[in-house]
Amino acid sequence: MAGRKLTVVISQAPGKNPVKRHLEEEIATRLMLSGTAEVSVVPHLYDLTSDHTGMLWLKSLKGNLVVLGWLYPRAIRWVLDRNGVKGQVGESRLNVAETTDDEEDPPETAEDLAPQGIGSLNVPNRLIFAIDLRNDPDPQTYISEIERLSESLAVPLVQLSGLFGSSMTSNGHPTVSTNGSPNTNGAAQTNGSAAKGEITAAHDSNSNSPTPQAPVVIGGENVRRRWYPVIDYSRCTNCMECLDFCLFGVYGVDLTDRILVEQEDNCKKGCPACSRVCPANAIVFPEHKTPAIAGAEGGAVEDFKIDLSKLFGAPSALEMAVQERDVELVADGRDAVGTAVGLPKRQSGLSEKPRDALDDLMDGLDSLDL
Amino acid sequence: MVVMTDSLVFLMGKFEARIPVDRRYFESHFWAFPAGDVLRVGFTAYAVRLLQDVYFLDWQIDPDTAVRRKQTIGEIESSKAVSTMYAPADGKIVRFNEALLNDPSLINADNYDRGWLYEFATTTPLLAAEEYVKVLEAGWEQTQRLLKNQFNE
Repeated sequence: MAGRKLTVVISQAPGKNPVKRHLEEEIATRLMLSGTAEVSVVPHLYDLTSDHTGMLWLKSLKGNLVVLGWLYPRAIRWVLDRNGVKGQVGESRLNVAETTDDEEDPPETAEDLAPQGIGSLNVPNRLIFAIDLRNDPDPQTYISEIERLSESLAVPLVQLSGLFGSSMTSNGHPTVSTNGSPNTNGAAQTNGSAAKGEITAAHDSNSNSPTPQAPVVIGGENVRRRWYPVIDYSRCTNCMECLDFCLFGVYGVDLTDRILVEQEDNCKKGCPACSRVCPANAIVFPEHKTPAIAGAEGGAVEDFKIDLSKLFGAPSALEMAVQERDVELVADGRDAVGTAVGLPKRQSGLSEKPRDALDDLMDGLDSLDL
Repeated sequence: MVVMTDSLVFLMGKFEARIPVDRRYFESHFWAFPAGDVLRVGFTAYAVRLLQDVYFLDWQIDPDTAVRRKQTIGEIESSKAVSTMYAPADGKIVRFNEALLNDPSLINADNYDRGWLYEFATTTPLLAAEEYVKVLEAGWEQTQRLLKNQFNE
């Protein structure tokens, strides 16, 4: 492992937003120039099918991995997991709210809020850092963090480069490969790669030109927008309420009776109903406008304003889910079923408990327009 | 539109929320007053007191649309609060108050008359003023808790 650079994959924003594209390209080219990391770019992660070139590329990567994308870190992590790109959760400083929730000892009440999930299976011993590119418009924020991660992961790149030139930095990645010949230039990291003619202009870090060539997007053509649920197995308790509730056959179980998203393309675009009925808040729709559904860590209030929706007749999460499901059923030419089918089992027997402040808080959160 | 004869009063702390007896109510804090063969619907004084100065009102459905109870129909933002707007009952939203689209402050200035929100056709039975005040009394503790909880986050 010694000498291996940190691997960074940038997942592009869907669409052609020039501001976002520029941020992606800035990060990619600066990382390539500085030699901090092996960088590659794939189309929007969530839209990739399991057999898409970009996803196959991700699966082929070994070792620690940083994935930057326009999604909440939880969404990035579990989209990767569902496609077999697995790893331990790496903690980035850019996801502060995120990591404290996940990694610290939970306060007593949190046990009810986030039941222990069944976890992912066959997780290899490597770290995956998921970083949301919506954190900051400044590319330097991400560069600094990747440099910090690179150092903290104790990749002995600097010393080896100094001694042996840049010969140890290549690990077979197609996008960036520095020349392997010995190089007496001690500052190999910053400008050593310009020494040989066979290296492309993208690596010409001696030039101060601000427009070096950005990495090619792996499998960038014709990626169709998709919509499907992603299960966060760190939260999922395998209760099967989503399986009971969804009437479009999206969910199934594997050979060991673990819940899984089986027919993702049966899912109805825009419908997040199963996410609302999930008692563990474990179902993520990465593109939904409500942060709690899109994979934000719960509880953050963006705005100091009070939400009065509850007062003015907001439906409960369950009522909303039933409504959304009915709309999709009718659109499919089927009959609306209302509350008659697949309602969560937890609703029975709970009514005697008096409501307390926590109930109100949870209901309040639910209707917050985050 | 109408000369108000009499009102009940619900005390929100020291604030007197006036609840006219000449009309009927939805428990989601809207009044309804007959206008031809439809009902004119607006915010009660209780709702307006919680909202305070309304800055922005947006409807997400077209006039003359059938709606289900609790269906999302719009958004409102005030100096203190935001809220989604929901249909108060099954029925049909016949038309919106055009005057509010330019100047939603009419909701604050004249909530029981010129600040009406939309005209609504429904067969749902509504509450009398006395019944609505009972709803307010029953819910006041909880409303205060809801507000405090959100402030404490």
